[in-house]
Amino acid sequence: MSDFAALREELQPECEALIAQYPDKRSALLPIVHLFQARQGYVTRDAMWACAEMLELTPAVVESTVSFYTLFFRRPVGKYMLQVCRNLSCLLNGAETVMAAFRDKLGIGHLQTTADGLFSYEEVECLAACDRAPCMQVNLEFVYDLTPAAIDDMLAAMRGGTYPVAPLPQTAKPARTWAVAADGEVALGDKSPGAENASDPNNAGGIGDRSGVIMLDRILAEQSRFTGRTRERLPNEPPAAMREIAQEEAGHAH
Amino acid sequence: MAMRYEPVLLKGIGEADLRDIRVYRERGGYKQLERAFRELSSAQVLDLANASGLRGRGGAGFPTGRKWQFLPANGAPRYMVCNCDEAEPGTFKDHTLLEETPHLVLEGILIGAYGIGCHHAFIYIRGEFKRGYEIMRRAVDDARAAGFIGKNLFGTGYDLEFTIHRGAGAYICGEETALLNSLEGKRGEPRLKPPFPAVEGLYKAPTVVNNVETLAYLVPILERGAEWFAGVGTERSKGFKIVSVSGHVRKPGNYEVPLGVSVNELIELAGGPREGRKVVAVQPGGGSSAAIFEEHFDLPYDYESMTKAGSMLGSGAMVVFDDTTDFVKAAHSLVRFFAHESCGQCTPCREGGHWLERTLARLVAGYGLQSDIDVLESVSHQMTGLNLCALGDSIEPFLASVVKRFRPQFEARVRRNGAS
Ligand SMILES: Cc1cc2nc3c(=O)[nH]c(=O)nc-3n(C[C@H](O)[C@H](O)[C@H](O)COP(=O)(O)O)c2cc1C
Ligand code: SF4
Repeated sequence: MSDFAALREELQPECEALIAQYPDKRSALLPIVHLFQARQGYVTRDAMWACAEMLELTPAVVESTVSFYTLFFRRPVGKYMLQVCRNLSCLLNGAETVMAAFRDKLGIGHLQTTADGLFSYEEVECLAACDRAPCMQVNLEFVYDLTPAAIDDMLAAMRGGTYPVAPLPQTAKPARTWAVAADGEVALGDKSPGAENASDPNNAGGIGDRSGVIMLDRILAEQSRFTGRTRERLPNEPPAAMREIAQEEAGHAH
Repeated sequence: MAMRYEPVLLKGIGEADLRDIRVYRERGGYKQLERAFRELSSAQVLDLANASGLRGRGGAGFPTGRKWQFLPANGAPRYMVCNCDEAEPGTFKDHTLLEETPHLVLEGILIGAYGIGCHHAFIYIRGEFKRGYEIMRRAVDDARAAGFIGKNLFGTGYDLEFTIHRGAGAYICGEETALLNSLEGKRGEPRLKPPFPAVEGLYKAPTVVNNVETLAYLVPILERGAEWFAGVGTERSKGFKIVSVSGHVRKPGNYEVPLGVSVNELIELAGGPREGRKVVAVQPGGGSSAAIFEEHFDLPYDYESMTKAGSMLGSGAMVVFDDTTDFVKAAHSLVRFFAHESCGQCTPCREGGHWLERTLARLVAGYGLQSDIDVLESVSHQMTGLNLCALGDSIEPFLASVVKRFRPQFEARVRRNGAS
């Protein structure tokens, strides 16, 4: 029996209990996906097919639904998912320093995973803990009142295996890991790292696509071809942040 | 500083472990549920909700009893869904109630479910609240063991089932019809209204969606009477409200006050501004609300006054900004939030949010164009009133209010000719 078949057999009773909680079995989709992700570290293709079978849905419907939710990871992630709040109250209380510290100490940016597969890093929206800003979640456990010193201790404890929050299970190594030059002064609003088999996490047209930025860059790069109304709205030179993104895109072109 | 007002829902938090059902019951917990089932009819519970003047605490402030009355009176199957998807920037009251006093939340939901005569109630808990979810699971198990959930409650023959549903990261699932889709195992995309949930909600059955805080207030209302609740507050904003105060204050936190205390008093309760600083703006009702300014700080904090000041009371989250605030960054942060959370069904919301975010990002980076500021104003104007749900209309208010008030800050980010 394959590993997944064994896991599915083990979780079958729990899945059935979840289904029984609802008048309609499709409602059990989110809870069952949570269940599999908690064991596999991310939402595998096998898990989505299993959901489709159990709930009598098509795999496409399952994947479409799963892809809507940012806490369902559709590609392997690090053992510690670090999600730092970038929203208003945290911003007013030093979130920028915290985010800069993480980027600097981990050598990665928003939505990326370190090469050793230990850390994934995301800048997320309001976590409803604004009285303890700046705050974050580590594998969905809250960490409050962050300071750069506390971040050092946290990362050291995670590396040393003494951090109190359990690591996520990691059944597959994160496939694309890379460090990128600074993302510029502002993190862009990318939505999710995309699916496991997408050619690039920011694949154009897919979720989290950067087509807007790419388009702006093209316009900026070929200014001479744009005249009149468009022209007066363009800066003379592409901002550094956009140049970097363009370079990054070029480096990862499919 | 001592609390100036006696807490109602927040009572006992920090003194005792209210997550323990024995502690909660020793303090009178579940007595009102029992009383409702044994002594009151569903119609009487609804009357109490109406007489108390209780209005929804989730954002729209709709009168709770009136919402329940929209349900058809034919006794057809119906559902009660408690909305614990709290993700409105600045709001952290439901999070606290869920983690600190889960039985109060549960008791309120069960009373509300009885009030509308339904036999299956749900709570939708935001995916990020993993700890809160585990706490609620234990609370439900304990309540079930104590006979407060299940068949033939209190020997009355009334059955009431309860299910906890956990989200998976999406602010839009707080919108009631998106929440119902998510609860049905679908993408959390809002539905076209009408039909409203009261007519066609969960599994196409009549459904009431109420906020955590709204339902929790049913417990003290039953205990102390509708007149007690209606006797507090202002003419049309009755009772108490938990206000989440954060930002540039010395003691951010949840402050439960009678509706109608002044904005200034709330800032004072939260410890006032930091040393040597002055408050220049307040966002009084979560990320969706427009900012109000010094000239408004004496106003009573209630639904009507906030609306009159050009903003809203919303979810009751007050974000305080002092004179060090970079309002370009603040506006960018909120616009980026909405652009990120847009479900993408409506073009004005999806595209408008995205381009506002890009434009603001350029201003934040100091590369703005003079025309960018006009673009901000015109785009945000064109987005409003054209969307399926209120998210699309929530992008403009804060942005417009701070561009108008702090325009020089935005102009300072325009790229100077020759400089880079
Ligand atoms: C984008 C959006 C997000 C919302 N998020 C929440 C939320 O997190 N919690 C909540 O109670 N209501 C939220 N609401 C309001 C709900 O749609 C609904 O009005 C509310 O849950 C009704 O409860 P109430 O009558 O008790 O206030 C949101 C609305 C919108 C448009
Ligand atoms: S307004 Fe925005 S979030 Fe609401 S339904 Fe339309 S696209 Fe979705």
